[in-house]
Amino acid sequence: MLRTTSTGLNRKNSKSLIGISAALILIVSSFVQPARAADPITLTIWTFGEVIQPGLQREYQKLHPEVKIIPIKNDVDPLHQKTVLSCQTGGPADIIAFEVPYSGYWRTGNRPNCFQDLRQMKTSDTNAAAGIAAGLSATDIKKNYLPWRWEQGVAFNDSVIGIPTDVGGLQVAYRVDLFKKAGLPTDRTQVSKLWPTWEKFIAVGKKYVAKLSAAEKKSGKGFIDDAGSIYSAVMNQGTAKYYQADGTDAGKLVYKTNPQIKKAWNTTVSALNAGIGARLGQFTSDWNIGMNKGAMATILSPAWMLDYIKKQAPETRGKWDIANLPGGGGNKGGTELGIPSYSKNKQAAFDFLTWYLAPEQQLKVFKTYGLFPSTSVLYNDPELLNYKDEFFNNAPVGQIYTQGVLKLKPIFEGELERKIDTLFGAGLGRVASKKMTPEKSYALVISDVDKLFKN
Amino acid sequence: MNGRWGYPAIAPFFVIFLIFGVAPVVYSVYISFYKWDPLGVSEFNGINNFTFLLQDSDFWIALRNTFSIWALSTFPQLAMALGFAWILRNRRLKGKSFWRTILLVPNITSVIAITIVFQQLFGRDYGIINSLIQLIPGVERIDFVEGTLSSHIQIATMITWRWLGYNTLIFLASMLAIPDELYESASVDGASRWQQFVFVTLPQLKNTITFVLIVGTIGGLQVFAEPQQLGADGGSTKQFLTLTLFLYNQAFLNNKYGYAAAVGIAITIIVLIISTINFFITRRIASESSS
Repeated sequence: MLRTTSTGLNRKNSKSLIGISAALILIVSSFVQPARAADPITLTIWTFGEVIQPGLQREYQKLHPEVKIIPIKNDVDPLHQKTVLSCQTGGPADIIAFEVPYSGYWRTGNRPNCFQDLRQMKTSDTNAAAGIAAGLSATDIKKNYLPWRWEQGVAFNDSVIGIPTDVGGLQVAYRVDLFKKAGLPTDRTQVSKLWPTWEKFIAVGKKYVAKLSAAEKKSGKGFIDDAGSIYSAVMNQGTAKYYQADGTDAGKLVYKTNPQIKKAWNTTVSALNAGIGARLGQFTSDWNIGMNKGAMATILSPAWMLDYIKKQAPETRGKWDIANLPGGGGNKGGTELGIPSYSKNKQAAFDFLTWYLAPEQQLKVFKTYGLFPSTSVLYNDPELLNYKDEFFNNAPVGQIYTQGVLKLKPIFEGELERKIDTLFGAGLGRVASKKMTPEKSYALVISDVDKLFKN
Repeated sequence: MNGRWGYPAIAPFFVIFLIFGVAPVVYSVYISFYKWDPLGVSEFNGINNFTFLLQDSDFWIALRNTFSIWALSTFPQLAMALGFAWILRNRRLKGKSFWRTILLVPNITSVIAITIVFQQLFGRDYGIINSLIQLIPGVERIDFVEGTLSSHIQIATMITWRWLGYNTLIFLASMLAIPDELYESASVDGASRWQQFVFVTLPQLKNTITFVLIVGTIGGLQVFAEPQQLGADGGSTKQFLTLTLFLYNQAFLNNKYGYAAAVGIAITIIVLIISTINFFITRRIASESSS
């Protein structure tokens, strides 16, 4: 008897508990509701490096007080994995940045479906204040951009999945003081004349290294930061890389036969054998330190890397200058911004994109962060052409990079471009560390790439 | 009444275990027979994933690396942990709880932070370890990350640094449980401190050593974050590619989920073999100490 009463009591207690918590939930949710009614829009941007600049972000938020922008940064490769996963599961991003080497992946197969077709979007009239007309679709703004660069954001089913942020024009950043010490010319036009070809570049490197003292050599100093970086520079001067355009979406795999690969590989190997490199992998901690210690006299620097050099080696201000890349125009990197299909704020995201990537904003980005504009309408703009950078000895950075970019030819980017490129890079790494002969390492690269297409 | 509510009461665990434990296992066994790319083509592949795995040199390299790193991180660590525990056990040591706390600090540090710091210590050109090595005349700089053994040493050092304190405390706890009478009678018999350590402490710690070894083996087969931070692809000659890193790369870098599932099954089989060996050794030790 006593037992049943006690359980009865317990039950009563638990019932009232449920009642109280239900009431609590109601009260709490009624507080939350009115806050939602104000409807601030949060734009989550998955990005890397300096693609989204805080300054411009603040400017946009001032123009659009209702929009809050949250950039989340990752490294390029992890970000790609995150994007792949989120396409399967959905995710919180409203805008995603992807690098051009990954563009082939997103443009082929059924993967364009992961991104919103930007031809279907129209700018809303909220952007009028920021200078963007209402009712513009991606097709309407296409004319502002460098045509081949624009195509890198167009999927093979013709949907526009990304808008280009920048062109990674490639030039040579060199240290004036170190060139002087080695008895080389220091003026940028004369320096450019030193190396019309890669062979000449390597020869200059040998000359430079020969002038280094034994102690300097022992501490790992060299002419170029990483001789391996020559590889991608030469590759991008060709007309095809690992894939060749053949009219199909996927392109034709030519990694075994393309002579440009052999040329890039052999040029790099001869640079490695000449010992002109400081063997500092780019974006490693040793590279950052080496930049400050003058461990390298040259860096093959895309426009976007200039800002990185400024930030990592502030003490070298004024000691750098920019010369032309051997062998013609050069390219490295470049980014697309797209809207994932699962985004819940597509309209706000598109409004932001069209504003952010408009010529006016790209010019500002170039001046503050060095990312070279993808909007070709700017290439005649005196503001771009006359831009000089004090950090780089007042080099006419705008003019030099514009000339380089205008020389560029479009190259087909295939599905696994980035992955294959990484394997070739690893192959050169084995040659650089003398763990394998170039021939053996090359054979291993080919068998590693073969494996990518099995299973 | 009690019987009726028993099952619902334990249900949450089993439901969660079914969803997050059993289902993924069944699913990965299923997709291991497929060529499975979530954003591409998926098709039935028979046992090709498994036959390809056995021919894949990367798998065997990863297996070698995993065991090499495991051995390099476990045995020196075991010896050092025993030594530290022996020191901490000393009655005359001042500030005991301070030292015990300090020892555990590395264990709560994030792996990523550890890797970044150790990468600078082991850096080829500006690392402090190479600067010290340079002091010895005639010795060349060591490129730790590029070498096979040297990269294993670097990774093993990180693991040791992180887990040393934890294992020390486990040894210390069981050392403190050894009755003082054993030491007293040993010293009456004229045993030196070293002899006491070898003939009293070590035999008494047999079970603890087995425990630490088993936990270390489990951890050793899961080494992932350290090599991944050194180089996501496992190095230019795969010199520090471990089994879990290999699995991860197949799934998330190469989008070969089916193949990665096959790797996962291979790892499971390896773990089963090692567990069996462990089981027999432990049983022998247990029967020895009871006899």
